[in-house]
Amino acid sequence: MSWAQASLLARGLCRGWGGICGAALTGAPFSQVPPQAPRGLHCSTAAHHSDSSLVPRPPEPPRRPAKALALHEELFRQAPDGARDKASFVQAVQKFGQHNVHRRGHVDFIYLALRKMREYGVERDLAVYNLLLDVFPKEVFRPRSVLHSIFIHYPRQQECGIAVLEQMENHGVMPNKETEFLLLQIFGRKSYPMLKFLRMKLWFSRFKNINPFPVPRDLPQDPVELARLGLRHMEPDLSARVTIYQMPSSKDSTGAADPAEPHIVGIQSPDQQAALARHNPARPIFVEGPFSLWLRDKCVYYHILRADLLPPEEREVEEIPEEWNLYYPMQLDLDYGRSSWDDYEFDIDEVEEGPVFAICMAGAHDQATLAKWIQGLQETNPALAEIPVVFRLAGSTGELLAPSSGLEEPSPPPPEGQEDEEDSQQQRQQQGQS
Amino acid sequence: MTSTSSRCRRAEGSRLECVDGQEPGASPVVQRLSLQIPLRQPRVRQFGSRKEVFPFPEVGQEELNEINQFVAPVEKFFTEEVDSQKIDREGKIPHETLEKLKSLGLFGMQVPEEYGGLGLSNTMYARLGEIISLDASIAVTLAAHQAIGLKGIILAGSEAQKAKYLPKLASGEHIAAFCLTEPASGSDAASIQTRATLSEDKKHYVLNGSKVWITNGARANIFTVFAKTSIVDSDNSVKDKITAFIVERDFGGVTNGKPEDKLGIRGSDTCEVHFENTRVPVENVLGEVGGGFKVAMNILNSGRFSMGSAVAGMLKKLIEMTTEYACMRKQFNRSLSEFGLIQEKFALMAQKAYVMESMAYLTAGMLDQPGFPDCSIEAAMVKVFSSEGAWQCVSEALQVFGGSGYVKDCPLERILRDARILLIFEGTNEILRMYIALTGLQHAGRILTARINELKRGNVTTIMETVGQRLRDSLGRTVDLGLTGKLGAVHPTVADSANKLEENVYYFGRTVETLLLRFGKTIVEEQMVLKRVANILINLYGMTAVLSRASRSIRVGLRNHDHEVLLANMFCTEAYYQNLFSLSQLDKYAPENLDEQIKKVSQQILEKRAYICAHPLDRTS
Repeated sequence: MSWAQASLLARGLCRGWGGICGAALTGAPFSQVPPQAPRGLHCSTAAHHSDSSLVPRPPEPPRRPAKALALHEELFRQAPDGARDKASFVQAVQKFGQHNVHRRGHVDFIYLALRKMREYGVERDLAVYNLLLDVFPKEVFRPRSVLHSIFIHYPRQQECGIAVLEQMENHGVMPNKETEFLLLQIFGRKSYPMLKFLRMKLWFSRFKNINPFPVPRDLPQDPVELARLGLRHMEPDLSARVTIYQMPSSKDSTGAADPAEPHIVGIQSPDQQAALARHNPARPIFVEGPFSLWLRDKCVYYHILRADLLPPEEREVEEIPEEWNLYYPMQLDLDYGRSSWDDYEFDIDEVEEGPVFAICMAGAHDQATLAKWIQGLQETNPALAEIPVVFRLAGSTGELLAPSSGLEEPSPPPPEGQEDEEDSQQQRQQQGQS
Repeated sequence: MTSTSSRCRRAEGSRLECVDGQEPGASPVVQRLSLQIPLRQPRVRQFGSRKEVFPFPEVGQEELNEINQFVAPVEKFFTEEVDSQKIDREGKIPHETLEKLKSLGLFGMQVPEEYGGLGLSNTMYARLGEIISLDASIAVTLAAHQAIGLKGIILAGSEAQKAKYLPKLASGEHIAAFCLTEPASGSDAASIQTRATLSEDKKHYVLNGSKVWITNGARANIFTVFAKTSIVDSDNSVKDKITAFIVERDFGGVTNGKPEDKLGIRGSDTCEVHFENTRVPVENVLGEVGGGFKVAMNILNSGRFSMGSAVAGMLKKLIEMTTEYACMRKQFNRSLSEFGLIQEKFALMAQKAYVMESMAYLTAGMLDQPGFPDCSIEAAMVKVFSSEGAWQCVSEALQVFGGSGYVKDCPLERILRDARILLIFEGTNEILRMYIALTGLQHAGRILTARINELKRGNVTTIMETVGQRLRDSLGRTVDLGLTGKLGAVHPTVADSANKLEENVYYFGRTVETLLLRFGKTIVEEQMVLKRVANILINLYGMTAVLSRASRSIRVGLRNHDHEVLLANMFCTEAYYQNLFSLSQLDKYAPENLDEQIKKVSQQILEKRAYICAHPLDRTS
């Protein structure tokens, strides 16, 4: 039985027992309904909504029992406003345990806590997740017979357990042995949370290092540092040098630099430098951009300095000079080459592109700023003084996309041809975070 | 003196019947080893060219006496007066030692007699090299002076230049240095930055530039300098070409950097040399203007063969030192020499010494034959084999000493450091392997062109012939190229080894053909393939040299020739199996062939510029 089916079935069962409590569409907190079913304690029936949940939300009557809501919210409100950290979160969870010896309404509480985690900055803390799981009463939900495990035992609780695991998954938190013990104690081995746990164990370890170009989890806030990171991320040559051509004149904590003096950070590798020095000054080179680059939840924009591909007739054929190697012949004087049966190359049509000479990230995307970059480049590339530089910029530009700015902020000017991609990226992004 | 006469004498016996249509300039041994076999030449030719290496070259009694006369005082001087420990510690050769070396004539060993040198033949030079190598710093100083420093004048100098410079150089009054390497230019001649521009009056070249790692750089008075000059070509285009110059320190503008602090050969003087507006008269151009590349190549190629005998000399000394320790040191009431793992090391050292000695003297003998045969491949093979043997043997000897070999009181530590340079200078072993393999393949390629073209065109007869041949080979085939047998060139005692050599040669020839068919001229890029080809060639040359020498020793009844037979057979067997392995690696689909994996691994590492495996203690959870 697939997981989705299971959860739907679970929900159906919940409803069947009668305690139904809807979450508001906005995903606001909701609470326990006074238990009408005989086992109401263990099946508080709020279907919940969490952005991180993949479970489709069933239509729920918009009811909002205020009392219970107030009760749980209160737990999180107790800490003074300034201190929203792990300690206060833990305190809130512990308080729930103390106040509520019977763990009444623990499912609602857990859903609420899951939503609050981000605020408290503990969404990546495994210990906190374990603490949350610990809120479940032990042994109660364990199936006691085969029938129990065939017909989902305590579906709402299982669903809630899965929600916890899923939020862990979304934040890349790997469950540990303690999680396993808790789940065993709470739901037993033959349960859906346990299945979820096993799958996470399996796939997390395989996918954790799948990205060959890892991005650090916490991106630097300083736009210069961020630009440096982004440039390094794009440049394959490790000997390339990052140069800061201009520091932002005012270092606001918001990261938005003074428009007059935006930061300009560029990268260039020795090979690119050499290629630029060889460039024929009669052919113009282009500054193009802005192109977008996503680093986790931030989008940065970069510009490239590039040239068109040389027409085939102008390309120099690299020939081996006669007197080159003092020690051994660089070519053999034979009139036959590699035989066809030793040719492993696939027949690939390669689209050749013109050379890219440098990349830069700047705080502003106007021509004046980029001209400063070109000026800076001239110091290390004297050849640049003689080559005409054409600016091909796509519209005006905005600032870095703030991490959780939500929907209202228009996306920065997408350069031609990239709109779709960027939009979809943004959507994905917003789904992932809010 | 006798050297020239002895050269002629040797010529009568050895070379007269050997030239049957060989290309001049082609290295005889390689040609014979790799190329004639696949062509299935008539036997006559094999016999003919075989004469160069069989029998082992001998020197006449007169010359031998002469050598011994030289050797005795030099040996006495080196064992009694040279304090290598001190030279290494202080980082310089004492003045009086240098003076003594000069008075022994060691600064002009290969300078012709008419210019005041000793005019030694290559064989005699190799013999003296054995002694001189007892101190690596002195050996390097002398080699930089005469094997490369003044060699240019001997090889390419005009009469006037020779008369002007050689006498003083031969006496050691002036010391020579060879200035080729630059910060940006090792073996890449195109990136030489030093420039020589012709002055207005066309009487001088003005030299500007820096050279690095110049042995004798601070001590030398005469420099062979390679610099770029603008040459007007035949088609009126201006080109930069390399020209060699003889530069005296007195020309002005020559300065030195500070001496390099080196790992080994610390007594030799190595530093940067800067030329700033040094005015070099036009008559000091060495060879032709723009012909410096050839000059440099010739000098480099000619200087290598002597490393074989030098290392062999050093190894002999090393064996003496190590055996003494192994017999004295007792553990568990037994001396070290009774342990099998220690004994093994001595066999290894003796074997290496024997092989490189044989290779070196065989090459020297061939070089001494009239007509200046080009033996640069052989010389390169000697260099590669001996330098690697040296490193391996010194390391094993140090192992015998154990902890006491690791401290500065023990000379082994110094010898180990000194030996490391052998793998690097005079062309690194990697580069020389390329040279050996490519020069050999170039030659093979020329001969095989017609055949390969036919195969490529799909000539049915040739293909059938080849297939049939391979089929017969795969069914087991005894290869007999005529080395053994009743009138064979090798003694029956080593006939087994000779058969192994023959078999290797035969299959190597076949493999070379396949390689050329597969890669053609793009084989230049296949360095891992080339390395194996070179390794096989080196082994084959070693086997040949050893067999030739052992056969001669048995036939003339030298002392302990049975020991030689043991060593020869041992080496041949080892080399045979190594060759078989290398040959199977050269096979495209062989499981031994790991080239693809090797390339992939190195690519991934180089891309990240780090060891990329996760730590064994890392976890994903």
